[in-house]
Amino acid sequence: MAMLTLENIAVSYDQQYILKDFNLSVEKGSLISLLGPSGCGKTTTLRLIAGFLDAKEGKFALNGKDYTRVPVNKRNFGFVFQSYALFPHLSVYDNVAFGLRLRKVNKADVDRRVRRMLDIVNLSGFEQRFPKELSGGQRQRVAIARALVIEPDLLLFDEPLSNLDANLRVNMRVEIRRIQQELGITTVYVSHDQEECFSISDQVAVMNKGIIEQLDKPSTIFKYPKTEFVARFIGFNNFITFDSRQENGNVIELQTKGRTFRALHGEGRGEQKGLKGAIRPDDLKLGTQEELGVDFNLLPGKVKVSTYLGRSYQYVIETELGEFTVNKEMEQPYISGQEVLVHFPIEKLIVVE
Amino acid sequence: MKKSYLTLLLLPGLVFLAAFMVIPILLTVGSTFYHEGRFTVEGYLYFFKDPYFLKILWTTLRVSLVTTAICMLLGFPTAYFISQQSPRKKALLLALAIFPLLTSSVVRSFSWTIILGKKGLLNNMLLSVGLIQEPLNILYTPTAMMIGLIHLFLPLIIITLVGVMENIDTDLVKAAESLGANRFAAFCRVVIPLSVPGLIIGGILVFVGSLTAYTTPALLGGKQQVISTFLYQNAITLNDWYLASVVATIMMVITFVIIMIMNMLANKLNPKG
Repeated sequence: MAMLTLENIAVSYDQQYILKDFNLSVEKGSLISLLGPSGCGKTTTLRLIAGFLDAKEGKFALNGKDYTRVPVNKRNFGFVFQSYALFPHLSVYDNVAFGLRLRKVNKADVDRRVRRMLDIVNLSGFEQRFPKELSGGQRQRVAIARALVIEPDLLLFDEPLSNLDANLRVNMRVEIRRIQQELGITTVYVSHDQEECFSISDQVAVMNKGIIEQLDKPSTIFKYPKTEFVARFIGFNNFITFDSRQENGNVIELQTKGRTFRALHGEGRGEQKGLKGAIRPDDLKLGTQEELGVDFNLLPGKVKVSTYLGRSYQYVIETELGEFTVNKEMEQPYISGQEVLVHFPIEKLIVVE
Repeated sequence: MKKSYLTLLLLPGLVFLAAFMVIPILLTVGSTFYHEGRFTVEGYLYFFKDPYFLKILWTTLRVSLVTTAICMLLGFPTAYFISQQSPRKKALLLALAIFPLLTSSVVRSFSWTIILGKKGLLNNMLLSVGLIQEPLNILYTPTAMMIGLIHLFLPLIIITLVGVMENIDTDLVKAAESLGANRFAAFCRVVIPLSVPGLIIGGILVFVGSLTAYTTPALLGGKQQVISTFLYQNAITLNDWYLASVVATIMMVITFVIIMIMNMLANKLNPKG
């Protein structure tokens, strides 16, 4: 059963729509990430769910209850801010106790719940510190504890790791995932970092210009993006525009300029609609026909640029279907101007809209 | 090398302050203890034994404290409103708030005499509406002084508070709301505690300003004297420079003590860490 649903939501600023006809549903207990470049509407969506923004149209429900017009302070959602937003005038203990005291929880229970939560986020012993006396990661954990201690019906994260350094970011996202699963709390997580989203989420919604381009499991999105935007966003740098397509069993044949390429259909690959082929630089192969050992999905080209990347070389190959970027590990690099065959492995070439 | 060069930049200011402030203050304070060729505290005993003088001191403190309190009460919500506006609106509203500071205090005080006088605007209005039968006696009372002083000093506290409030992260208020606080609770638990530094600094400015103000009390207070007018009377009208010095020293000590107390309060209430 879907626990959280957004139906036909519209949000606008100054006559300009940021979200329009926006739909989303999230399963109970799962963690969904909203991923996208800045300005794609992911933060707007999160703030709308939190209640910081009002929907102009549409309906937002949680567990069957309509929350569209419920004010922020009556929602009982935990929100973790990018800036952490810890109260600087309160100690760690008082920050975490803030929500409980507003709920008139008795003193003994406040104490028990605050201490238990600080224990969960590994901050026991820091009760009397003030936010300024904590490191970034510790502040982050206080913010999470503060949001969780009220036993929220929904947990919301707004780019919570973007102010931390790289190492800490990896540790914290493991931590967030652990706590989320331990408590089994439904969570919406916003980030522009794809690795972060993929590692932490049950589902990822890739957003662009106020719409969800694709909502899938991280591994599905990574392997089989549905649209050109999603493909580009997750590192498919090479595209071919085709003129026509035929489906032949589980093989899709695509044509352009008298050339035919084959891609696969089915087996969790999604619909593979559209007329655009996409492939990652790592998945393209280079060589002579003998070296490649295949007789289809080949395209002759010429090495235009060769760049040493350390582990591999990166080539830009010029062909009659445009330029392609290829990464290849090799002892003896190609030189500029060398003629070479580009192979698009059938299992790696995908079709996007 | 670089540091000593920087210290050099302070020299002109230091010389000026030493010559025209530190030395005169020391001389003034010294002269109150060394009178007619001997060490004495006679001046202070004379001042503190006289009920008339004490009444002046008390009136001054009362007027200053009430002025400060009312300025805080009026200034706080106003400043919060201004701090929440868009930058353009904020600049406009701040300019409006500062406007009273740009007019001369003599002109402003005279305007108040027109408004507050027996046959002034206020009384005429209240009489014609029928709210009062006899004209109110406001002008030339401590109340008139307070009105004038509040008008004068409200901008100071607003500017200080806006400066502090606009630096309060709006996410903090949102965080409080997401944790279950309504607008009012969020204001009380987050905005007010975090505005304390501004409130204290603004309060010090208003209090010290009211305590030492001369023009406004002189023009609106009538026969009711405050320390500053009393000081002026002693020095200029009665030519009693000794008593004037004593009064000046007392004024300085009071100001100093009040600032210390408020600073201590600020340290206690300020956000930690």
